[in-house]
Amino acid sequence: MTGTAEAVTFWILGSLSVLSALGLLFARKAVHAALGVAFTMAILGIFYIGQGAPFLGVVQMFVYSGAVMMLFLFVVMLIGVDSSDSLVETLKGQRWLTLLLSLGLGALLIGMIGRITVTGTPNLNAINASPGNISAMAEVIFGKYVWVFEITSALLITAALGAMVLAHRERMGEKPNQREWARRRFQRGEFVSGLPAPGVYARHNAVDTPALLPDGTPTELSVSRTLQARDQVARPGLFSAAEHDPHQEIEEGSAR
Amino acid sequence: MTTLLPTAFTVAEINYWAILPVLIVFGGALIGVLVDAFAPRSSRHSIQVALALLTIAASFGALVWKAVDNKGATLDGAMIIDGPALFMQGSVLLLSFLSVLLMAEKFSSAGADAFTPMGAAVPGSPLEAAATRAGWGTSEVFPLALFSVAGMMIFPAAGDLLVMFVALEVLSLPLYLLTGLARRRRLLSQEAALKYFLLGSFSSAFFLFGSALLFGYAGSVKFSALSQAITTAPADVEGLLLPGVLLVLVGLLFKVGAVPFHQWTPDVYQGAPSPITGFMAACTKLAAFGAILRLAYTGIDADRWDWRMGVAAIAALTMIVGSVLSVTQTDIKRLLAYSSVAHAGFILVGVLAFDATGVSGVMFYVLAYGLATIAAFGIVALVREGSAEASHIAQWSGLGKRHPVVAGIFALLLLTFAGIPLTSGFTAKFAAFAPAIAHGGTTLAVLVVIGVLCSLVTAFVYVRVIVLMYFSEAQGEVRALNPSVLTTVGLAVAVILTVALGVFPAPVLDLANQASQFIR
Repeated sequence: MTGTAEAVTFWILGSLSVLSALGLLFARKAVHAALGVAFTMAILGIFYIGQGAPFLGVVQMFVYSGAVMMLFLFVVMLIGVDSSDSLVETLKGQRWLTLLLSLGLGALLIGMIGRITVTGTPNLNAINASPGNISAMAEVIFGKYVWVFEITSALLITAALGAMVLAHRERMGEKPNQREWARRRFQRGEFVSGLPAPGVYARHNAVDTPALLPDGTPTELSVSRTLQARDQVARPGLFSAAEHDPHQEIEEGSAR
Repeated sequence: MTTLLPTAFTVAEINYWAILPVLIVFGGALIGVLVDAFAPRSSRHSIQVALALLTIAASFGALVWKAVDNKGATLDGAMIIDGPALFMQGSVLLLSFLSVLLMAEKFSSAGADAFTPMGAAVPGSPLEAAATRAGWGTSEVFPLALFSVAGMMIFPAAGDLLVMFVALEVLSLPLYLLTGLARRRRLLSQEAALKYFLLGSFSSAFFLFGSALLFGYAGSVKFSALSQAITTAPADVEGLLLPGVLLVLVGLLFKVGAVPFHQWTPDVYQGAPSPITGFMAACTKLAAFGAILRLAYTGIDADRWDWRMGVAAIAALTMIVGSVLSVTQTDIKRLLAYSSVAHAGFILVGVLAFDATGVSGVMFYVLAYGLATIAAFGIVALVREGSAEASHIAQWSGLGKRHPVVAGIFALLLLTFAGIPLTSGFTAKFAAFAPAIAHGGTTLAVLVVIGVLCSLVTAFVYVRVIVLMYFSEAQGEVRALNPSVLTTVGLAVAVILTVALGVFPAPVLDLANQASQFIR
């Protein structure tokens, strides 16, 4: 039977991991989902340690929660933290059908797996004592699972090759230097003095604020295309409104 | 509780001769990666094609020279080289050799015509246009295809669930990538790749979950141990068996495109570059049926009364949905995709026979189907309107008058798919259905009747295309390109073998019969 400490740990961490796993399913933002996975993985690591597999537990923490999930977060942030899943249902009734089928599968699995009985207290004490935790693992990996271990390398090479094929943009020709850029501008005869700089306002770091043309309209040329694509460009109207009504600005400022 | 780990380190015994064919393919793929890193861009395409063809030929040589005399379990039971494994491996090598010949086709492009000049360039961007002008190409497709071939060779020879899972991934991952590298209609191609990747990972998760349950049931991932555990029937963990079997089967049936796990098939077949579609349709189906046979006949055979009806229902659904939906298709690649779904159902009927003749029938079927499929997608890649493939069926009207040879070959292949007597399709269907009648009882007899009716439905679809090609007026500027010598050889071999399997099937049927005994 399980000891009291183990039972307490299990019930507390187990419920937390279920909650964070549900968070993965229902989070609207990718960052929250990724954090949910990282948290679940970390708790799994603690479980492994609790069951007498410290090496596996630590690797789980380091590799999954630490490295993989953090890489995931980086990617999510590169793509844009603000991007969230579209919840438009393209196939009618799909959500209900999915729910029905998932519940059916869940009921089947719980019904079948719930029937098993486990006798005794399986643990790793004997193995941890005689060859040792890590040695036992090494013996399995380089013993009977050596073929699996070796062919997994093919998977890693494929992944690396795939990343190169799909994401590595090789430069075609020389990278133009400043002199070359200047020459091109004069050749074309437009933006001879460079593109307009973004507008500068005292209260902002102004890369997202377009410069205003003499007639007051913003010029898109002054703002990075990435910001435009993400729709993160500030509207100049905001600031002209502030100019018309300075009292509110002053009040807001004193409240800060 | 028995301890699962050995007390002292035991080295797995390796019979290198038995796994030499697989090792050669891995070696060729690794050299291919290095070639891509170091060879000058102008000569990469030729080096890669030569290397890939050489590797596959060498591997086939090793297979018939050494591996056939080194049957048995090796690597502590992780790989089981027996008759079915060798037959499947040899077939994969033959089919992939033909596929590589078709993949290498350049037409007027500087690189392989089917593949984008730069996978990382945004579709329609100036960078992509510049890469096309500069004559760049994605020569990485050849090492990727080789990796996939290696996975396909391990898949039907896997002796345990873990090796089978890793082999599944090794064969799938390159396919996901290859699907997204089409030169034309790249958005469609990338969408197909993403869809394939997501659904493929989903089905892999099912497979893995099922493997975990079966491991809990048998205390080992080995098929032999699993089979033994089923006969002793441990009562306390009995609840793990059926869900484990079902989930593992879901993972495998996804790969062959059985209904209801077929959703990816039409989109991926349509989006992928045509030579890759042929490769995928022929070789993946072959390897996956090898794996299903291995699992069903050596792992979970003793429990078959529990799951046989379920798989029979899936087979019936697959045949019906595949053939009925192929009637409504207007895109030639989607039509062939639904036809491949229907064929998966026909083959499943043979699998359920549970007899050595069923094994040989299935093996003959997947080989014959693979040859015809590779040739059919090779022809699809030739028929163009402008530079893009003429994939709409209406565009094929009148092709028989403009290009009698191309249309004639395609008509022959369609008749083969339909299973007209004296084609390999007929022999294959007979080889798969006869054992089902002989050993399967009423259930399989009903399935065979459904199969024959569905064959009639698909025959209607194919004949409609043939009528369109020969008896209607040509529209637009559709023409068939002149293939290079390599492609012509590949196509010719595939077509000749298809005809030969129809007219003189006896040698290959005999070979399949001799190779139909599994080693446990």
